[in-house]
Amino acid sequence: MFEEILSATIRGATPLLLAALGEVISQRAGVLNIGIEGMMLIGAFFGMVGSFYTAEFAMFAPWFGLVTAGVSGLIAAALFALCAIKLRGDQVIVGTAMTLLALGLTEVIYQRLFGETGMAQGVPAFQQIEIPLLSEIPFLGRALFSHNILVFITFLLMPCVYFFLYHTQVGLRIRACGEHPKAIATVGANVLRLRTLCLLFAGATAGMAGGYLSLADVPYFTPGMTVGRGFIALAIVIFGKWHPVKACGAAFLFGLGTALDARFQALGWGIPHQLWLMLPYVLCLAVLAGFVGRAEAPVALGKPYGESE
Amino acid sequence: MALIMNLKIINTLKRIDIRWVGTPVIILASAFVTNAIIMLLCNYNPLEAYQAAVSGAFGNGRKFGETLVKSTPFLMAGLSIAMAFRCGIWNIGAEGQFLMGALAATWFGTKLAPLFPETPWIAVPLSLGIASLAGGIWGLIPAVLKVTRGVNEVISTIMLNYVAIHLMNMMIDGGPLQEASQRGPQSDRIAEWVFLPRLFPPHRIHLGIVIAVLLAIILTFILFRTAFGYQLRAVGEGAAAAEAAGISIMHNTLRVFFISGALAGLGGAIELTALTRRLYLNFSPGYGYTAIAVALLARLNPLVTVAAALLFGALTTGSYSMQRTVGISDKVTFVMQATILLFVIGYSSVQLFRKRPSVA
Repeated sequence: MFEEILSATIRGATPLLLAALGEVISQRAGVLNIGIEGMMLIGAFFGMVGSFYTAEFAMFAPWFGLVTAGVSGLIAAALFALCAIKLRGDQVIVGTAMTLLALGLTEVIYQRLFGETGMAQGVPAFQQIEIPLLSEIPFLGRALFSHNILVFITFLLMPCVYFFLYHTQVGLRIRACGEHPKAIATVGANVLRLRTLCLLFAGATAGMAGGYLSLADVPYFTPGMTVGRGFIALAIVIFGKWHPVKACGAAFLFGLGTALDARFQALGWGIPHQLWLMLPYVLCLAVLAGFVGRAEAPVALGKPYGESE
Repeated sequence: MALIMNLKIINTLKRIDIRWVGTPVIILASAFVTNAIIMLLCNYNPLEAYQAAVSGAFGNGRKFGETLVKSTPFLMAGLSIAMAFRCGIWNIGAEGQFLMGALAATWFGTKLAPLFPETPWIAVPLSLGIASLAGGIWGLIPAVLKVTRGVNEVISTIMLNYVAIHLMNMMIDGGPLQEASQRGPQSDRIAEWVFLPRLFPPHRIHLGIVIAVLLAIILTFILFRTAFGYQLRAVGEGAAAAEAAGISIMHNTLRVFFISGALAGLGGAIELTALTRRLYLNFSPGYGYTAIAVALLARLNPLVTVAAALLFGALTTGSYSMQRTVGISDKVTFVMQATILLFVIGYSSVQLFRKRPSVA
């Protein structure tokens, strides 16, 4: 039972963490991407589409799907960048538009391509792989090392993001972009370009996180299937205090919540499961309010940067 | 100081008044063309679709009545957003406040009202009042977090939307407000004397539409003709300048958040007591988010919001008819709403707000 809960925790945490890693980078650069929910939904849809139309390539199909998921998220982020960075529109409004656009567009195209019958049930998906030797460790082995490949990629990406953000010059510049863009501009960095690149990265990871849902979690797409997971990723970024490693901890915590919820439901215990669903948002609010350790947001977060500054 | 500010506000208003007629037309035209292109790409006939939409929304008296009915939640939530944004408060929480209002009205209508005599003229105003209060209090949470702990209201209101959704689901799915038969995730029907009256039965046109339009007029008056409205706009134009002129940011934040939440909550109660009469999962198809597009298209002017809400109501009824005749998913309205928002941003950054990069 412990094994199952741990395994379910990791599976639940993966898409949240993947999306959150991109969001950490974009927020550290000063862009509050609340379109993340929409980008995930777009990724989930186009990931499924990519895998569906390359089904003849069998085991490579989900990889095509992953690429289309990432690229579609990237394109959505490019649209976001055009409106919020180039045109200096308000990031909150652009983000809201992005979420509405994703909700509408995915469902319209889904209905056009597959009708309402759901022809695309069961596209080629990522299979569980067992890492030799490691997965045979007693107790922990199967829970930790028997997953689909995206889980491993995500958990390898986390230290990379950490290293990139804290131990490279570009990472330093990105963090400066979110704290004091004018200062970093005076030493020759291109704030708008850096922010755009960070946003594109966030779009790609959000898209792939969506792809995880329709290519690994389940092998199909249903309209609106992200059901707020993008906003949970947003909560994770804040609960993780804009730090990739802490965000990983937060993703684990929320993944554990989901896993325990499923377990308690199965046991028929009387805890309303909506309480679990509420938990990430409530914890995020508690952190913001400083009840659970103070979180300092990047100073320039959400503020458009322009020549007039 | 106050004089300079006054001039600045007058100048801004002048600019808005001159341009609001032209720009929304351009925005809408651009959005309709973009959507036509999207429909073409998806292999639907846009002309046929738009024709169906127009006849579905305005074809005859009954259809137009239905459009009015669909406009009401957009108008109430749009007014909520317009008041908040005018004060520079980014309340993304109208969705949650709307649901809390509906939840409060459900509680009153199913649990409390049956305990008292059947007196609609007391019960109806009371249910709307309680719902407004519930929405207002839900709006006060991010306000208090903002003024006492400096919490960014964008994030807190998004989070509170999800708390509200799950709270509502908890109440009607296994919770105390679930229907007595326990069959589905919905509440019982509210008591008959809490129904908000329909004006011309069997049509669904109801008193809530009148209430919403009256509120739009009253809010316009408050916003442009009272000291409170002046303060509210001054804070929105420039918090630092307003504070220097002796206007309390804290009081305005609290008041405006309460009003904004109460308006959204009232919207939820109207929808519930006049139309659905019971609460169920997915009670709101994102009215609170769509309302952002409504309010911005109306340039945050409560009176113009009536027209914008009517348009969005027409888009909704029109989309049903598009689905029936052309076969395109009715979710195409979301695409329409999103493109309108994006064009609002595009055009405002091109002209109106060029010199003020931090606003809209």
